[in-house]
Amino acid sequence: MALGRLLAWTGACVALLLAVACVAFNLLAGDHGESVAGLALGLPALLGAAAVGLLIARRRPANAVGWVLLADAVILGFAIAAPAYARYALLESSPPLTGGRLAALWDTEGWPALFAGVVAVAYLFPDGRLPSPRWRAVALGAVAAFTGMLVVTLFRSEPLDPPFRQVERPLPSLPTTLLDILQPLMLAGLLAALIGGALAIRARLKRATGIERLQLRWLAWACALIPLTIIVCLIDDLVTGRIGAVTLVWLALVELAIPAAIGIALLRHGLYELDRLVARTVAWTGLTALLAAVYALTALALGVVAGGDSNLATAGATLTVAVAFKPFRDRIQRLVDHRFDRVRYEALQTVERFLQELRAGTAAPEDVGAVLRAVLGDPTLEVAFWLPDARAYVDSTGHFVDLEHDAGRAHTPVRQGTAPVAVVRHDPRLGARPQLLEAVIAAAGLALEVARLRVQVRRQLAEVQDSRARILTAGDDERRRLERDLHDGAQQRLVSIGLAMRHAQHELTERDDTASATLDAAVKELEIAIDDLRATARGLRPSGLDAGLTPALSDLAARSAIPVQLDVDVHGRLDSKIETAAYFVACEALTNVAKHADAAAVAVSAHRHNGTLLIAVEDDGVGGAAATSGSGLEGIRDRVEAHGGTLSLDSPSGGGTRVRAELPCV
Amino acid sequence: VRLIIAEDETLLREGLTRLFADAGEEVVARVGGAGELLAAVERHVPDLVVTDVRMPPDLTDDGARAALRIRESHPAVAVLLLSQYVETRHAVALAGSGGFGYLLKQRVLDVAEFLDAAGRVARGGSAIDPEVVSALVGGHTGDALGELTPREREVLALMAEGLTNSGIAKRLWLTDRTVETHVRNVLMKLGLPAGADDHRRVLAVLTYLHAAHVQ
Repeated sequence: MALGRLLAWTGACVALLLAVACVAFNLLAGDHGESVAGLALGLPALLGAAAVGLLIARRRPANAVGWVLLADAVILGFAIAAPAYARYALLESSPPLTGGRLAALWDTEGWPALFAGVVAVAYLFPDGRLPSPRWRAVALGAVAAFTGMLVVTLFRSEPLDPPFRQVERPLPSLPTTLLDILQPLMLAGLLAALIGGALAIRARLKRATGIERLQLRWLAWACALIPLTIIVCLIDDLVTGRIGAVTLVWLALVELAIPAAIGIALLRHGLYELDRLVARTVAWTGLTALLAAVYALTALALGVVAGGDSNLATAGATLTVAVAFKPFRDRIQRLVDHRFDRVRYEALQTVERFLQELRAGTAAPEDVGAVLRAVLGDPTLEVAFWLPDARAYVDSTGHFVDLEHDAGRAHTPVRQGTAPVAVVRHDPRLGARPQLLEAVIAAAGLALEVARLRVQVRRQLAEVQDSRARILTAGDDERRRLERDLHDGAQQRLVSIGLAMRHAQHELTERDDTASATLDAAVKELEIAIDDLRATARGLRPSGLDAGLTPALSDLAARSAIPVQLDVDVHGRLDSKIETAAYFVACEALTNVAKHADAAAVAVSAHRHNGTLLIAVEDDGVGGAAATSGSGLEGIRDRVEAHGGTLSLDSPSGGGTRVRAELPCV
Repeated sequence: VRLIIAEDETLLREGLTRLFADAGEEVVARVGGAGELLAAVERHVPDLVVTDVRMPPDLTDDGARAALRIRESHPAVAVLLLSQYVETRHAVALAGSGGFGYLLKQRVLDVAEFLDAAGRVARGGSAIDPEVVSALVGGHTGDALGELTPREREVLALMAEGLTNSGIAKRLWLTDRTVETHVRNVLMKLGLPAGADDHRRVLAVLTYLHAAHVQ
């Protein structure tokens, strides 16, 4: 690790030294020195690449991007230092210095190396690996093309660019026939490698989501400039007759754009999590400088006022600094956060706003998932809440979530103390920014806990509702069984006994009038018993319901003391629970009409519409009915609600009564 | 009269059989389910079928549904439905054709009247249980039924039960002529055609009552 750090610093220092050497040799070259324009073009790109490269290489030594940028900075250093040295060594110095011809050669022919750095970044950004294993062949081709092109340019025989036209090449020339074959071949390979770099970034951009996409976007724009270089070269060649100033300016722009784009991704979009480091460094540097200034000023001012009592001045200044420390730190931290770690800053701001809305009652705790999705830039993010009683995780609607089989998702647990609250399921790529994730989840902790409790309560409520419906259904089933038992068991048995008695009476003939009269009386008693049984059975459950709601309602209407206008449009059979509930609504409402409404007419309607059964009983009576506790209406309301329906009662005094129930039916 | 008895309760089936046998009728078949009933009707083509409403296989209204099919396939076979409970739907649906009766089971205990009703049905007449009729007649005050005198309402109920004029006269201890007058008045007040056959008259009265209730 120490070696890596040394290497990184060495690379950056070499690049800087080369820049210094460039300036020095230009000055030494005197009249033969280059104008400042060349330096102004190359230097920002060199410094940018060196700084960003150093930062990444030190913090993420395993990532090739930092090393490539450092190498690029060194290449740039050679690119600007070589002509300066050549001018000094060959044109100014007498006799010419060693290495001058090599420097002049590099000035003319080293240009393929300038492309190598930016293209490598395009292939490797941001994780330091190729986009996919399939790209390995492309990358190898690119390396071959660049090496080949460099060999071709270095070992050809054309004269060097001005002002070194008269300088003899220091390297031997390859055979012309070989160069004629190799040169176009390598040039084509080079062009392909340039286009490949732009395609690599495009491929990554297509796959990327959320933050990664933001990080890539800037570099994608910068890399789009690379293939355009070819067009610029062609235009330059056509217009000015040689590849010169225009191409140089363009190339310098591309060279600068690459580290600049990576720098933006680092500072604004949390690439490699380096933003915290930079922000903290800046914050502490700023704070130290500010406090030093405050100390100095206070000491100076107190010294003037107190007349040189240095002890008092020191104490006063120290006190001022101590008092100013915290507000200064907070202010600077916020300022720096805002500037540097925009994502984190804005994420926490959004979460804070959400919590305020939560307290104000304008947002629901269940929205916490949507807020996390938005601030973390992961549309696939979901929150699973822990239910202690079920010992399982559920989503915000209360459905169980299988975290065991959740391939391709990363889980970040949320805890309160040691108790699990929830699990945030997210794109594994968010794991590249563990600090951001941690900070956002910590900030949203309260909302998550509240949402969890609400989900838990809703689930328990649903369970209670289910059990209420089950109890009611069990009761109905029991009623039906009893009704059957009475009708088909006891009642039939009594009729059979009566028949047996009649038969006995028949056998008696007319010889025994007393016995016959006794049997008559007994049979009469039996008939009364049967009537009682029938009345009891009917109160338990109307047998008419066996045939469906429509006949049951028409039976009910036929028995009503008040004429009933019946309007039933229910095709097919419904769930027997729903039929029973609807029947009891009509039955209870009609009973109330007969007892209290003093109505001349009553209308019963039942319609099935869009999965809902609407049953209504309306009369023209005195109104004023209320579903008071313990009343029959209260009972049917319970029954309707137990099956997920609603019951409404509208009964203004003197304005009739309308009972309406809506029951879900599939 | 040749008849088939359909009843799933063995004891009751035997009782009914003995009842009809004691009265000198010929019970050609005794069955315990709707399917067997239809098969027996095909085989014997009896004058009368006396059947329970709630029977196997479904134990709901199998008997009534079998009755409907018998009325379609063998219009000449009279059907008397026996039920444990009152419901107006089947009674009204089947009453129209004549040769149909709907009685509560316990009516068998009043042997003479039951045999009389069964005989009426077998001859093509009607017999509707008084409780069904009173369920239909009950509670009318504001409409045409409200204009009937108490005596006329009694006559209407007996008409609905399927009794003939002389049957009504016997039941109410009136002369035939008086009953005729009452019947004419009832039909006129309700706007029903006079002078129809007995069973048509039952149908008209039942339909009227049913419609008056369930508009």
